[in-house]
Amino acid sequence: MTLLDSPALDQARGTGTTPLRLVRAEIMKIRTTNTWWLFLIGFTVFTALALTSNGFSHHYELYPQHDTSDRAQALAQAAQARTPAGAAAIAASMMTSGQFLGVLFAMILGVLLMTNEFAHQTATATFLTVPRRATVILAKLAAAACSGALFWLAATVISGVTTPFYLHSQHISTALTGWIVVRSVLLNLLAFVLWAIFGLGLGTLIRSQVISVAAALAAYLGGFAAVELIFHGIYYFYPHGWVLGGPVIAPAVAANVMITPGRAFPHAPPQWAGLVIMLGYVLVLTAAGVALTSRRDVTLRDVLTSALRACQDSATAHVV
Amino acid sequence: MVIVLAAVVLGGLAWLISRQRGGAASTRIESAPPRLPDRPFGGKPVPAGERPGGRIVVSGLTKEYRGVKAVDNLSFVVEPGRVTGFLGPNGAGKTTTLRMLLGLVEPTSGTATIGGADYAGLDQPVRRVGGVLEASAAHKGRTGRDHLRVICQSAGIPLVRADEVLELVGLTAAGRRPFGGYSLGMRQRLGVAAALIGDPQVLVLDEPANGLDPEGIRWMRDLLRTLAGHGRTVLVSSHLLAEMEQLADDLVIIAAGQLAAQGTVASIISSMARGGRALVRTPETEKLAAELGSDAVVTPAGDGMVSITGVDAVAIGDAAQRAGIAIHQLVTERPDLEAAYLELTAGKAAIR
Repeated sequence: MTLLDSPALDQARGTGTTPLRLVRAEIMKIRTTNTWWLFLIGFTVFTALALTSNGFSHHYELYPQHDTSDRAQALAQAAQARTPAGAAAIAASMMTSGQFLGVLFAMILGVLLMTNEFAHQTATATFLTVPRRATVILAKLAAAACSGALFWLAATVISGVTTPFYLHSQHISTALTGWIVVRSVLLNLLAFVLWAIFGLGLGTLIRSQVISVAAALAAYLGGFAAVELIFHGIYYFYPHGWVLGGPVIAPAVAANVMITPGRAFPHAPPQWAGLVIMLGYVLVLTAAGVALTSRRDVTLRDVLTSALRACQDSATAHVV
Repeated sequence: MVIVLAAVVLGGLAWLISRQRGGAASTRIESAPPRLPDRPFGGKPVPAGERPGGRIVVSGLTKEYRGVKAVDNLSFVVEPGRVTGFLGPNGAGKTTTLRMLLGLVEPTSGTATIGGADYAGLDQPVRRVGGVLEASAAHKGRTGRDHLRVICQSAGIPLVRADEVLELVGLTAAGRRPFGGYSLGMRQRLGVAAALIGDPQVLVLDEPANGLDPEGIRWMRDLLRTLAGHGRTVLVSSHLLAEMEQLADDLVIIAAGQLAAQGTVASIISSMARGGRALVRTPETEKLAAELGSDAVVTPAGDGMVSITGVDAVAIGDAAQRAGIAIHQLVTERPDLEAAYLELTAGKAAIR
């Protein structure tokens, strides 16, 4: 083996970086660490738990307990749940079990996809290989979307296998291929993909892994409560119905509106508005991330740490 | 119910993140350094003329961090077919300069080009330039081989090239172990392997000798000399003078972000001739001093010898013969790189 004699490179003449190869490289990065299977195992366990919990809650909806305080209303609800529309709603709910917290996994994986480059100082190797940083981020975006879709697939397979047995055991007959169910499952896919990209966008803006993950969790979980509080406060002084639809500006609420057919909550804006706002967040985050990453140096921190290391080395050398 | 699940999920996520961050770092592999191939770098030398575009031109390069000029109007040229040492004390701006050259840091002003183009403007950078910037630059949970395969995939080079370069740097045995367990020397080798993936004509290395044992340093020296012998451009930074004196053909010395000297190793030493002196042992010091004239500065050097500066050994010998003076001992002290370097960078090594 010599430097100038490389069968691999002889084969490679005339090839180079292409968008598809970059996406495959990004997927390879996910695949070659333990991150993805740890996440997938955690996600699978969580989805199974959520499915079980969901199953029990629908069971009590269909078969009210005898000691229920308002038995008449409970029976009316049970009858409602047994109509074709009610049955389809239960099937759709079962098929998207665990969605509320499941998308968190996809979002955090998106965050890690970017912040790992800085936490492990691989950004240097990455940007030496592909100096056009916007291209790298777009490839990461595609990889994040793919991994979001993978989480969705795992959840849907688990739910898809168990839901028919559950529905049968509850003596409900409905087809999982009905439009209402299929639509819910597809909207679920959209949520997983968009949240994964949202996480990636956040990771490009905030390089610190810890802060970035915390910000992602705050945007998702804290977002609900904070905007509800603010807009109910506004409504108190300015009682117009549309004010109560205001929380949709928070990404978590927008996503909820997006995946809920009809109105997600009283005075909620229409479904498409949720989609538009969520897409807007993803676009703005990604664009800002591309702009910032293209301009930011890689990286002052690296330079400082390597300078520090050099000082330590020379100090050790002098002592020796 | 949702709250309980949320707690479970958050706890689980925190655990997952801590797992993947730490990765396999805890299982550090302490092993003997990998065995070196007996004749690692054969191959036919390629004349410099057949490898065009390997010239590095740095022109008026400046980088300012919050009012401090880390690099200050720096200009130099690095020629193909030679090993160029990039020397300077810690904090002189070497790393910043190399990062600007490789498109990782945006210069405040000035340009740094490779073969006439910006790094970011190169069509297939991996095939043109190899950079070794820091030793700890791979994911700790990823194997060395996978790290290289990711680079191959990004650059559109067949993945088997990863195995070729692993063999080239003698890391084949460690290739399937996680990077977190690598010693510093193995990390440097992996960095070199990554730089060689595209068989580039230009190599830029930042402190590659850091953390290497003497065998590793010798290996690195042989590698860089071989690469330069093939007509490649090799720019290697260091704060270790002795290493550069053995390795480099040319030197670029910077201090406090500014160019202090540039030229061949020999020319830099001889340009410091003022620092050269002769030590002479003779019974007739005053007579010799008178014969040498006003150019020479004669000072006692202890042990019955005098130190003479300002004239060279030939002049001293001639003068002694003319005056019939016995010379018992004549020692010339050539200024070495260390002396030249310390003089050039005196007082500028402070952390700025």
